[in-house]
Amino acid sequence: MPNIPDCCLFPSLFPKALALPLFTGKVAAGFPSPADDYVEKTLDLNELLIQKPAATFFVRAQGESMLGAGIHPNDILVVDRSLEAVSGKIVICALNGELAVKRLKQMAGQWFLASENPYYADIPLHEELELVIWGVVTSVIHPL
Amino acid sequence: MQRLIALVDCNNFYVSCERVFRPDLWDKPVAVLSNNDGILVARSQEVKDLGIRMGAPVFQVRHLVKRHNIQLFSSNYTLYADMSARVMSLLEEFAPDVEVYSIDEAFLDLTGVCHQAPVGYGQRIQKAVQKSTGIPVCIGIGPTKTLAKLANFAAKKWRKQTGGVLDLSDPVRRNKLMNIVPVNEVWGIGGRIAGRLNRLGIHTVSDLASQPVDRIRDPFNVAVARTVMELNGIPCLELEAIAPDKQEIVCSRSFGRRVTEYRELSEALAEFGSRAAEKLRKQNSAAGHISVFIRTNPFNPGEPQYQRSAGRALPAATQDTRVIVSEAHRLLKQLFRAGYRYQKCGIQLNHIQPAAAPLGQMDLFDGIPSGHSDSSKLMQTLDQINRRYPKGISIAATGFDQTWRTQAERLSKRYTTDWNELANAQC
Repeated sequence: MPNIPDCCLFPSLFPKALALPLFTGKVAAGFPSPADDYVEKTLDLNELLIQKPAATFFVRAQGESMLGAGIHPNDILVVDRSLEAVSGKIVICALNGELAVKRLKQMAGQWFLASENPYYADIPLHEELELVIWGVVTSVIHPL
Repeated sequence: MQRLIALVDCNNFYVSCERVFRPDLWDKPVAVLSNNDGILVARSQEVKDLGIRMGAPVFQVRHLVKRHNIQLFSSNYTLYADMSARVMSLLEEFAPDVEVYSIDEAFLDLTGVCHQAPVGYGQRIQKAVQKSTGIPVCIGIGPTKTLAKLANFAAKKWRKQTGGVLDLSDPVRRNKLMNIVPVNEVWGIGGRIAGRLNRLGIHTVSDLASQPVDRIRDPFNVAVARTVMELNGIPCLELEAIAPDKQEIVCSRSFGRRVTEYRELSEALAEFGSRAAEKLRKQNSAAGHISVFIRTNPFNPGEPQYQRSAGRALPAATQDTRVIVSEAHRLLKQLFRAGYRYQKCGIQLNHIQPAAAPLGQMDLFDGIPSGHSDSSKLMQTLDQINRRYPKGISIAATGFDQTWRTQAERLSKRYTTDWNELANAQC
């Protein structure tokens, strides 16, 4: 039996999540002021999900071509229009006059609007296909 | 350091808002109708190209609507106000000082920000707004507000050549432009004053700018004289600071007994709206934003509690009782829930600004050609009578409902403010 000093701490085998209130006020190296000691706010989903409020829109997903990405019909998509649409991103784009959800992919120099469902084909992009990127999907809200 | 002011103005703003969520409309003629679907208050370029004027009554252009399949929309103020807030908040990232002039225009103080390359900066702003919100804008830049407005007019008119951004800081370019623009296009010079100027032989903006200021001040007024100075690059108009918090007008009351009916709340709000509007008129201001709140008694925890407020930016700053009351009622409709015993309700007016600002596109709502002056005469009369006979005249809240009820048969969804009305995207 190794000699374990009394002051050792071990992580719990059954850790419980502890919601911590957010304290405002910097803790100075000296004496903290009693006035600092109050809870300012609770955790806010807006802060978590929205980086650029002016450019963020919510859109409702329909259809099943993106199930593999975790996007189900009726889910809400958080869309940030200020982000760059690069290969690998799930984007909202204007396709055939309507808003569509696809993953932008570039493979061997050819761009695709890829689906995430084996039953739906990828759409290769070409000159005649008028594609406009509407925004980049950053999160999906899926009620269970 | 020379001052540099930019006027950023959204192109066909209401139409542009409708188009953001409807890619199928990007190449179709689109127009937006006024409050009771009576006249056109916003037109896409395609509709303008058909020769249909701003303020044209719908019934008059029915045949064109049908022949060219013009897509018509009722005014969706909730959507426009939200989109406007987004545009304005983006603009605030580009200048230390921004004056929101109307729902789709703002002055930016660019002094010291981009003297090396103002047009390039303007293009950055244009791109950022288009990318983040989908709203196209034009930008006019100059050493004064009046010149920024003129530059914006030219940037828009000659969009192909300018790309929608024009800088009139350079006096040579400025004079060239002023020689070809008629004087009625100058900010603050309306039809009547333009007519008088024309009779004096002043036809182009150049003609006006070259007038000695004293020769203009006496026959006209100090505002026109200031305009002449501004056209010459001498700033006379400051950017209006955002109204500090104390410049808000609140009118509210706790009820003597608990109120449960919609009708009672609506009558109370009509009274508060009238009083608040009167306060505005007394201080010669107009309000750009209205909010309404209703609540139960928070000190009676035994009762079911309900406490909500809702607000919106008004499409045009107003001091008109009728507009304020009708907006308050519209907000109340959204807030009211049956089954609660309300203890208090009230109206708050914000974004208070001077009432005498020159008017832009808002002139033409509801076919009242000089709506603003008509309503202010009526409001003055109302105030006079009420001063002499304190219980004299009040706005009959139900009576006016007829005239101001929004028909809005072609309302688009409130894509950005209602979870049930989100735009759909097809996976």
